[in-house]
Amino acid sequence: METLLQIEHLSVCFDAPAGTVEAVRDVTLDLAAGEILALVGESGCGKSALCRAVAGLLPANGRMEAAKLTVAGADLRGLRERDMRRLRGKVVSMVLQDPMTSLEPTLPVGAQIAEAARVHAPRLGRDGARRRALERMALVGLDRPEERYGLYPYELSGGQRQRAALAVALAGEPKLLLADEPTTALDVTVQAQILDLLRDVRRRLDAGVVLVTHDLGAAARAADRVAVMYAGRIVETGTAEEVFYDPRHPYTRALLACLPTPEKKGRRLYAIPGMPPTLMPPPRGDAFACRNEYALAIDYELQPPMFPVGGAHLAATWLLDPRAPRVTFSPPEEEPAGPARPPAGGPALLEVRHLSHAFPLPGGGSLRALEDVSFQIREGEIFGLVGESGSGKSTLAQCVMNILRPRTGSVVYKGVDVWDRSLSRAQRRMLRTDRQMVFQDSAASLDPRMTAADIVAEPMAVNRVRPPRGTLRAEAAFQLKHVGMDPSYLDKYPAQLSGGQRQRVAIARALAMEPSLLVADEPVAALDASIRAQIVNLFRHLQAEHGFTFLFIAHDLSLVRYLCDRVGVLYRGRLVELAPTEELYGCPMHPYTQALLDAAPLPDPRRERQRSPRRFDGADAGRDGPFTEAAPGHFVLGGKEADL
Amino acid sequence: MDERFVLVGIRPPEPARILPRRRRRRDVPVLSLVFLAVVILGCVFCRYTAIADPAYMDLSGCSLAPGPGHPFGTDAMGRDIFSMIWYGGRVSLTVGVLAAAVSAAIALVAGALCGLGPDWLDGLVMRLTELLLSVPSLLLVMLLQAAMGRSTVTGIALAVGLTSWMGTARVVRAQARQLRRSGFVVAARCMGAGFFHTLRRHLAPNFFPSILFMTVMNIRGAIMAESTLSFLGVGLPLEVISWGSMLSLAENALTGGTWWIVLIPGLTLVCTLLAITETGEWLRRRGRGSAAAV
Amino acid sequence: MRAVKKLAAFLLSLLVLSAAVFWFARLAPGDPLVSYYGERAERMSPADRAQAEAALGLDQPIRVQYVRWLKNALRGRLGISYKYKQDVLTVIRGRVGNTLLLGGVSYLLIFTLALPLGAACARMEGRLPDKVLCKLGTLSACIPAFWLSLLLILIFSVTLRWLPSSGAWSPGAAGGGAADRLRHLALPMTVVVAGHLWYYAYMVRNMLCDELGADYVLLERAAGLSRTRTLLRHCLRNVLPTYLSLMAVETPHILGGAYVVETVFSYPGLGTLSYESALYHDYDLLMALCLLSGAAVMACSMLAQAASQRIDPRMRTGRGEVTGRG
Repeated sequence: METLLQIEHLSVCFDAPAGTVEAVRDVTLDLAAGEILALVGESGCGKSALCRAVAGLLPANGRMEAAKLTVAGADLRGLRERDMRRLRGKVVSMVLQDPMTSLEPTLPVGAQIAEAARVHAPRLGRDGARRRALERMALVGLDRPEERYGLYPYELSGGQRQRAALAVALAGEPKLLLADEPTTALDVTVQAQILDLLRDVRRRLDAGVVLVTHDLGAAARAADRVAVMYAGRIVETGTAEEVFYDPRHPYTRALLACLPTPEKKGRRLYAIPGMPPTLMPPPRGDAFACRNEYALAIDYELQPPMFPVGGAHLAATWLLDPRAPRVTFSPPEEEPAGPARPPAGGPALLEVRHLSHAFPLPGGGSLRALEDVSFQIREGEIFGLVGESGSGKSTLAQCVMNILRPRTGSVVYKGVDVWDRSLSRAQRRMLRTDRQMVFQDSAASLDPRMTAADIVAEPMAVNRVRPPRGTLRAEAAFQLKHVGMDPSYLDKYPAQLSGGQRQRVAIARALAMEPSLLVADEPVAALDASIRAQIVNLFRHLQAEHGFTFLFIAHDLSLVRYLCDRVGVLYRGRLVELAPTEELYGCPMHPYTQALLDAAPLPDPRRERQRSPRRFDGADAGRDGPFTEAAPGHFVLGGKEADL
Repeated sequence: MDERFVLVGIRPPEPARILPRRRRRRDVPVLSLVFLAVVILGCVFCRYTAIADPAYMDLSGCSLAPGPGHPFGTDAMGRDIFSMIWYGGRVSLTVGVLAAAVSAAIALVAGALCGLGPDWLDGLVMRLTELLLSVPSLLLVMLLQAAMGRSTVTGIALAVGLTSWMGTARVVRAQARQLRRSGFVVAARCMGAGFFHTLRRHLAPNFFPSILFMTVMNIRGAIMAESTLSFLGVGLPLEVISWGSMLSLAENALTGGTWWIVLIPGLTLVCTLLAITETGEWLRRRGRGSAAAV
Repeated sequence: MRAVKKLAAFLLSLLVLSAAVFWFARLAPGDPLVSYYGERAERMSPADRAQAEAALGLDQPIRVQYVRWLKNALRGRLGISYKYKQDVLTVIRGRVGNTLLLGGVSYLLIFTLALPLGAACARMEGRLPDKVLCKLGTLSACIPAFWLSLLLILIFSVTLRWLPSSGAWSPGAAGGGAADRLRHLALPMTVVVAGHLWYYAYMVRNMLCDELGADYVLLERAAGLSRTRTLLRHCLRNVLPTYLSLMAVETPHILGGAYVVETVFSYPGLGTLSYESALYHDYDLLMALCLLSGAAVMACSMLAQAASQRIDPRMRTGRGEVTGRG
């Protein structure tokens, strides 16, 4: 196969007010035509900057240097904007993460695709461009292109928008497509479709694809080869099988180890200690050394070169040097599963009865957010609630937490109807202190102008609780210690904390009132994999050691499987299935649950490629029926087909 | 065995090098701040800065060009312009600050009511501001001025303040709406925080930078409005010295070729307004910066 | 249905506005008799005075006066200017053309020039022309219109003697040739345009610079569109609704500036008229002027809304905001 993209010693710097950030450092990479390379790494590791540099679209404060950068034989270094523009779309093209914002909102999608097609072939004319656009729409799987040509982006769903964006990027038949987190903002079921589409497109156009992602599952599904990036460098590269089944760099191993998988249930997740370094200036030696339990002395001194492992498999770690000691990577420490889990069928702490809610739409009518949802949460259990965006899971959390009054139905906590207007003062106070919430976006849920100490102590100040440990500050220090942060963080503002630390502060705040029930709305969705494991471990610890009850809302199915005792599946405002975790994952009954489980990506390339996920087109969604118990403790909507 | 290849495991990371804090210095509008300080101090202590009684009309020395004795010359009534600038500045700045205070107070109440109150109240107050905004503010001020009768410093400040709160109110409202939906306010409600706790701990500190900016801009607007009104003859009367009333003699000065009567008070006015603007922009930048990275 | 609703809201606003202005104007302590009878009013005996007041309807409670005014207004009689002793509409009709010529043309100039100017600066973000415009924007917002007028008069009329400093036409040549009108318009129009143009261009530039950071710009550029084309064809289009509503809201501001300029240049337009009517407590005239200005501004913002809906399809359905909840 001919080499399509060749990068040698490429570096990217950004000038920031506080100094120069070396976002990409000395990257060497190549890609053959018709190949998909996944660029994997956590946020801030430089993978997007690398993409932009290749496309010549760095922001004004960015600078690129490279010994070689060619795409299909054309040298892209030092081109003038005018010449670079001719190559963009025709040779290199790019799709972006968020399909909601990456299309121009005021023009029909067809016109946007046609415009992109016409830039490179002005002789096409109006009709020719239209025909080309329709072809492209068919190529990316937008069926009935004639009808969709005149639709505006807001009239399309997220997946369709991403397809349309792909059509714009592919309008000039580029040889190289850079896909920057194309599936991150999409729901699981749509993610799989877009990844399959990428594989299909590169086959049909014989184009090379660089797939930038933080999701190992997505990489496993789509990629032929994988390159792992950390702190601006490529630390390991090889075929998908080599990297996933035989990882050599400690970082790659750690990344794979900290993913929650069913086998790890009941054990602590491996969590990478520490945080990614700042690249201003980058650390000496191997940037990962200070988080690496197998670091050698030389790792702190000298940047390791890429050592060949076999074939095209390379890894940049001194452990592969012949002089290095033989290291056997022990599996992450096993931890006794803690005190026995509460017996199923304990007393119900929270009961949701026939909850329904709808939001009024500006143009009249209303948007159904929740419909007739009923379930119970027992004391001491972690109850998982899974659903895609728009399924009403956040609305449910808000109804439970007295933020949003539901239209009908009731929420009963410890025998008290939380929306009852005639509650006594003592009951209201109990409700306020006994239930606490952790929000998805820790940056937004912490007041930027308060210190960590003030934030953690705020619930006590609000409820005028006498701090048991003397002062509010001492109390805040105690709670921070509880979530694994030392008192030096007391006087920091949220902006000075990292994402994981902010989420810890938010959890400490929730714990300050010593609640019984914690409602966590996507608490780890915004965190990187390595940090996510730390927070997940914290949740497990809180439940096992202190007996908290959780309502855990998430879209990540493997995480829910790892963490939760019972799981409910929400689809378009309806609870379609509810069962103990293993039961649900073992034999899902509702077609939507089945589709959801099928689509969940796993970091296992062989398995991923064999699967062809069942599509769930939503036709069954409207199917009504009783919410019946198909097996002991296993409820499903429309129970008639329960024996499928 | 090479000692560099010894397994050492995790070492504590090197302490992050403290980067020199150089970014702030560059943004500070030094010139504007110094100028503003000089003007404010000079006007507050005008008794000491003035070299002559600004009200004293030396009829023998009308319209003298700048020179010894009168650094900025004298006006058509023989008053010393240099002294008048300080005394006039005191009046102009007072009007500006008073009017801005009045408008900020109204704006804060109206904006917070709209942003935090029920929807019908929001609709009502917003329609009212739209209505008031639809008439040129100059006409409104003239109407109010007329309604209040004799022009005094407080009177004109009140009139200007009463007609200039709408823009700020809209900003406050938008901010309140945004903050009301923001995560930390919802979190506070979850904890059971009451309205006043939320207002004191969350809303007010987060409002502050933009309110500060709007208020500074309102000071600028009020000084400008006062000078325009006084110039037109519907503001402060001639004997109350302000930068505007000093300029109301300018039209006659034009034909007489006595350019200093037009230029000197006008330039002072424009420079002061510029300095206020730069200061306001700087305050806004600082407020944003402190929220993003303290 | 929607149009009817809009019209009703428009009329209701006018009604409230007129009531408010009426009430305010009547509170004024000044003596309208002076403006009607001039010097004579001060020499009147109390009996004559009462009679005169009764003749003008000034002795009744404000509420009654307002209702009577309203009834007349609905029949197209907006009252009599005390000062000019003429029907209000006649007085206004004589001046409105002049103001339309000065304020209207200036407004159009500002409106049309700010867009290309702002776009050019956004294209050259951070370069010299852009920096100059940003500074000019700040500066022009700090110069009072009347002082700029004085400055220009000083330079072009007094010192250089190129252009006339007052009036709409040369004395004795009322409604004279176009060249004469233009010479008289040159200075006031310069003041109005120069005082606002930079500021709005600066706004357009800021909006466009924000818009250039949007994801779709990156996608389009990745697909091969040039920066200029993206800016002009797509960013400008997205900025336009905001710009239109901004310009509609700012109409009274520009109008007010034009009024001041009219007064400085003794230009016989609505500005000088309203200034006089406020000074001489000419109630009916002032009311009519306020209503006229208000109606013009409200009409502008309705126009802006309609235009925005044409440009941005999301505004038509009001669906734009309701995506992605859950």
